[in-house]
Amino acid sequence: MKVLLVEDDRLFAQEIAQALRHENFAVDIAANGEDGQHLGETEAYDAAVLDLGLPKINGAVVLRAWRKKGRHLPVLILTARDGWTDKVDGFKAGADDYLTKPVRIEELVMRLRALVRRSAGYAEPRITCGPLTFDAQTGVFELNGLPLRLTALEWRVLACLTLRKNVVVERSELNDKVYEGDAAVDSNSLEVIVARLRRKIGHEMIETIRGRGYRLTSGDL
Amino acid sequence: MKFKHASLSRRLLVGAGVFIALALVAAALVIGFVLHRFIQGQIDQRLDTQIVFLSSMLTAEDDGVIAVAGNADGPPFDRAARGWYWEVVGPRNVLRSRSLEDASLDVPKFPRPPHEVRPAPADGPGPRNEALHFRIQQVTVGRNAATIIVSAPRTAVRGPLREAMTTLAISLAVLGLALVLAIVLQVRLGLRPLERLRQAVADVRTGRSERVPAEQPLEILPLVSELNGLLEQNAANLERARRHVANLAHGLKTPLATLAIALSERGGDATAELHSLVLLMERRIRHHLGRARAAALSGPTRAQTLIAPHIDDVGNVLGKIYADKRIAFAQNVPRDLAVACEQQDFDEMLGNLLDNAFRWARNKVEIHAHHEDGRMVSIVIEDDGPGLRQDQIPQVLRAGERIDESAPGFGFGLPITRELAELYGGELNLDPSVLGGLRVMLRLPLAVKRLLIGDNAIPD
Repeated sequence: MKVLLVEDDRLFAQEIAQALRHENFAVDIAANGEDGQHLGETEAYDAAVLDLGLPKINGAVVLRAWRKKGRHLPVLILTARDGWTDKVDGFKAGADDYLTKPVRIEELVMRLRALVRRSAGYAEPRITCGPLTFDAQTGVFELNGLPLRLTALEWRVLACLTLRKNVVVERSELNDKVYEGDAAVDSNSLEVIVARLRRKIGHEMIETIRGRGYRLTSGDL
Repeated sequence: MKFKHASLSRRLLVGAGVFIALALVAAALVIGFVLHRFIQGQIDQRLDTQIVFLSSMLTAEDDGVIAVAGNADGPPFDRAARGWYWEVVGPRNVLRSRSLEDASLDVPKFPRPPHEVRPAPADGPGPRNEALHFRIQQVTVGRNAATIIVSAPRTAVRGPLREAMTTLAISLAVLGLALVLAIVLQVRLGLRPLERLRQAVADVRTGRSERVPAEQPLEILPLVSELNGLLEQNAANLERARRHVANLAHGLKTPLATLAIALSERGGDATAELHSLVLLMERRIRHHLGRARAAALSGPTRAQTLIAPHIDDVGNVLGKIYADKRIAFAQNVPRDLAVACEQQDFDEMLGNLLDNAFRWARNKVEIHAHHEDGRMVSIVIEDDGPGLRQDQIPQVLRAGERIDESAPGFGFGLPITRELAELYGGELNLDPSVLGGLRVMLRLPLAVKRLLIGDNAIPD
């Protein structure tokens, strides 16, 4: 799961990013509205965390621009403005959720996971695929009822495949969703991660579609 | 101040009244003088005719004795002792009118030497001490000089003059009265725009209109534009002050948020305690931000807010925030119902109350509103959540207290909502709901219908 964080306060952005990475999210940071708008329009994200009072371009304007260009990624507004009028305006601009500073990181993570899950089309927090269960609320994977221990990169790949279970996920999209913008992407490493995942959950669960990408199947199809 | 309560209309009336009185007195004096001259002229002409008549009838003997040939006592000189007399003084004898009845005219001293061409006037007492007006002329009878004196009673002038002056005085008094009435009317009509202006300013104060209409008489127009300028400046200052407070609050929140995250990431054992301190600071900031906004309200507010669109908006927002709860939100609110509150403050109250309802509801939230007695609007929000015990209610309305410190819930929103409602002259009441949860009743003053001035009329 990869999140775009648009926040001009450098210290706050770093704290949030660190906390989100701790919860296995990949995070790209944009320090102003202009960069934020550009990243949101050109890169693939599962969700965006958007401040309203941004330099260069206001957050609400960024959000409207995304929506106008057909970018439907779920957007959570995280701002110091706690007035209900601001909240209503934020949602009218196209926001999916709204949190005010200061925020509990648990609350932010929970809301972000719920947004990503809902935008993937799941109404319930638990997603099951054969013996594999993903609790999108807590972010915990279980295999046959036992918790799976995963690295951050493994978690990101598996979460991405689980949210799109039975559908082919392109390699390029996986690369986009797993690695942060400034990380050096080695296409081999994706295969390494998938290989490690197969060892943990069973080879038959992840199909390789040659030349395209991977597919998570319940195994008994 | 001496003129603190000076009345404009009194000034205008007194000024006009004094001027009219002076003008009328001056007119009476001038007209009286002219009339007097005119009547006097008439009498003089009558007397001069008699002089000419007498002089044409005078004859003189060689020894200087003069006589009148014929009857010179035509009317009014035939009436005895009425002041109409004549006397001719010759060198040897004196001729008198019969009306003198043997008395003689005590001719006053000539005011100027008797003139050959024109008779000279004089005034003095007659034989019976009545006031007389004389005309005196020296004539030549044969080779002798004679003095003709004719007289008329002064009453012949005064009588008609008094009569004419009485009529004149009555006419002038009527004229004066009519003028004063006209002035009163004019002052009333002339000052009416001021009364209309007062009403317009009152409308601005009560919120019926946003600014004073510019359709005013030319003389008041500068005052009106100054007034409107003042209103705009006031609103701008208020807005700026509010923005500064908001900026301060928002400026504090980001570092506070950073602190909160940093604490929860690496705060160690003290995390919970420190985090509650951060939350307390945040609550204080919110509280004072709300107070600063609300403190700007004093007296009857000029704002009006239609409640139904805001309930739609806030309902949509909460539907998204609590998307997973799939709350059924039912609203029954008249579309034209408006409250006399600033839109942001109404959003704040409504948002806090509905947020609580959505947070605690199991699957149903209802809102309905109606106006009571044409003065207040009652907005009732009910949910089917756990509700509150009767003894918990005073507690949740007190600032800074939460029923459950660990769960975000009742506590912050309710006290600030109650404070805001009371600032607007409304109230907040909590009761058990028939749905099983809490029933919140927010009462706010009904907005008076706004006058359709400018661009600030209520949209439909």
